[in-house]
Amino acid sequence: MPVPWQLSVSRILAKADTIIASTPTKQLDEMNVGQSSARSLALLICWSARETTVCKSCLRRQYSISAAVESTSAISMSHAPPVVQAPSPQLAFRIRAGVVLSRPPQITRNQTPFEKAFFFYQRRLNERLVLPFSRYFYFKAGTPADLEWKRKQAERSTPAKDIGVYNAYGEMAWDDELLVDAKESEPETQVDCLLKDAEAPGVGSDEMGGLRKEVVERPMPRVTEADRKGDQRSLDRRLDRTLYLLVKGSEGRWGFPASALIGRENLHEAAERILIQSGGVNMNTWVVGNVPIGHYHFDYPNPLPIKDGVRESGEKTFFMKARIMAGQADLKKNELGLVDFKWLAKEEIEKAVGPRYWKSLKSMLAEQ
Amino acid sequence: MALRELPRRVGPTLANDARLIARPLGTTQYRNASSQTRTTPEVFEDLERSSLASPGPSEDIVKSFDPVGRSRQRQGKLPPSRYQFRPPKYYRGPLHPHQPPPQSSPESRLFVPGPFSLPRLEQHYHNTIAPDLLTLAYSHLPPGFVPPPKAPRLRTWDDSSPYHKNRPARGPRGGDVLRLLKRPTNFHNITKLEKVTIHTMVKGAMEDSAHLHVAGMVVQAITSIRATSCKAKESVAGFGLRGGKYTSVKAEIVGESMYHFLSRLVDVVLPRIKDWKGAKGSSGDSSGNISFGLTPEAVGLFPEVEVNYDMSVAPRSRIKQTC
Repeated sequence: MPVPWQLSVSRILAKADTIIASTPTKQLDEMNVGQSSARSLALLICWSARETTVCKSCLRRQYSISAAVESTSAISMSHAPPVVQAPSPQLAFRIRAGVVLSRPPQITRNQTPFEKAFFFYQRRLNERLVLPFSRYFYFKAGTPADLEWKRKQAERSTPAKDIGVYNAYGEMAWDDELLVDAKESEPETQVDCLLKDAEAPGVGSDEMGGLRKEVVERPMPRVTEADRKGDQRSLDRRLDRTLYLLVKGSEGRWGFPASALIGRENLHEAAERILIQSGGVNMNTWVVGNVPIGHYHFDYPNPLPIKDGVRESGEKTFFMKARIMAGQADLKKNELGLVDFKWLAKEEIEKAVGPRYWKSLKSMLAEQ
Repeated sequence: MALRELPRRVGPTLANDARLIARPLGTTQYRNASSQTRTTPEVFEDLERSSLASPGPSEDIVKSFDPVGRSRQRQGKLPPSRYQFRPPKYYRGPLHPHQPPPQSSPESRLFVPGPFSLPRLEQHYHNTIAPDLLTLAYSHLPPGFVPPPKAPRLRTWDDSSPYHKNRPARGPRGGDVLRLLKRPTNFHNITKLEKVTIHTMVKGAMEDSAHLHVAGMVVQAITSIRATSCKAKESVAGFGLRGGKYTSVKAEIVGESMYHFLSRLVDVVLPRIKDWKGAKGSSGDSSGNISFGLTPEAVGLFPEVEVNYDMSVAPRSRIKQTC
């Protein structure tokens, strides 16, 4: 039993034979097409059916191919413009590819107040439950490191560096909970404690006799310059969120960069082409996988005029996922007629795009 | 008798449930999981309010609250039964009056504190790696697609020879070992890290167990859990191994400490190894397990171990800094 694809090809061959048989022999001679070339003709028809309007998977269905054959045969077989149009033009959608280019989060997310309190409580609880720190195992008695350790231990009463002043083995060990507005559970305070511990002047002196102070680099701030200025074109904004590239078309609508498929290219190739055509070559990107992660369906208010026997009644945009590793978008040389771009997080995209567009894309965007 | 009464009892229950279900069906025929849900469904309004949502104590209470001062002013001590609870050492059965608390309770003997943080690597997995893996592993099956029947995993003989009779089935092509069955990847079985095992065999432990103690302390320092020691299974004369002797230490870490260990390994240790050629491509069993080794010098690059190295060679490192 033939598979559907073979079935449809054999049907096309039969179709092509009937077309050639029904064409006057004179015209056939002019075209220099013989009976023997029916197979190549059928293949030609096959490829011509693979226009931008029909995707490859649809081509595998018999009905679309036979319809396409019916519509294209009149044009390809005669020099003069077709006298009789195809009786009913095929309704089709324009297939477009879109790129959801994203920058993953660079830093950890902010902790919720509950998480801060919980983690701090667990740390102090851990101090109460573990065996005491065995100083003599790690520090030789009388060495500078041992003296330094003793000094720090006297300051905070506990080996842990970032849980504040708390003695887990003393009389008041039960007092491990924080009062209202205490700062010990804040991550910023804990970072300060760790830095203070690392920066404290060592007891050992250098050749000059002065105290040796280690310089410890402070972590970069979580809020960047772009955040303060509200610069939505910068990739350095909202470091704890996934940012998506949104572009503004010539008609003033915001959306992901998208374009119709050209020729026989597939979605993955189209995505790579769109990235270069829209954002330029100064972006190190990776298109994740060969399958789209979502689609947007739009019906034209008025179907387009018939072209090649096909009437386009709408468009379907299939979104491919891509990641940006380095670089920045540059619209100076873009070929898609784009005017502006932004890097936006999920909830900012909702405000920028239309409600129907948002509805079809909201489930493919990351929450964080 | 109980079975006879069942329909009588089930009837009113179903009637009560039917009243609840009927209303949503009346408004919309179907509801997508992603569509907006109502903020406070009426069925939840009877539930107890959480204390987290309630406003905090008033200004006066906050200012006057001083638990340490109040305990110092107390004349006599509280009876120990008010603040001391010792869980039973042994479980004496479900009918015994002295039951152990659940393991999640800090009073339990089995309680392990934690988690203490949100590991960066774990967040990276959930935000970036897992969604990308899902996209990469997705295979589209058109609606109505029926996968072709698969051949049996063990091949049968074609009976072309009389000697094929009663022969056991053949193994798969390319090797005798049956490969693992793979499920199609979807959102709830994305590949993820489950466990990291750190294992080190100490040859010197055959003569002197002190080597094993040092190795155990090193493993404990870099994993933050107590290492367990393992015996040699069999005697191997070539390696000088004797069966039943403790020769190695092992630590298995999961969850938060596993992610912290991996980030230290990937971000601190591996970049500092000189001329590291990477983990061998052929290592692992292609079924989710992978292993690679580290030299003693590389283990010395872990910050927890390096601290102790620095102490022993302190004068030299100080000279380095001044230069």
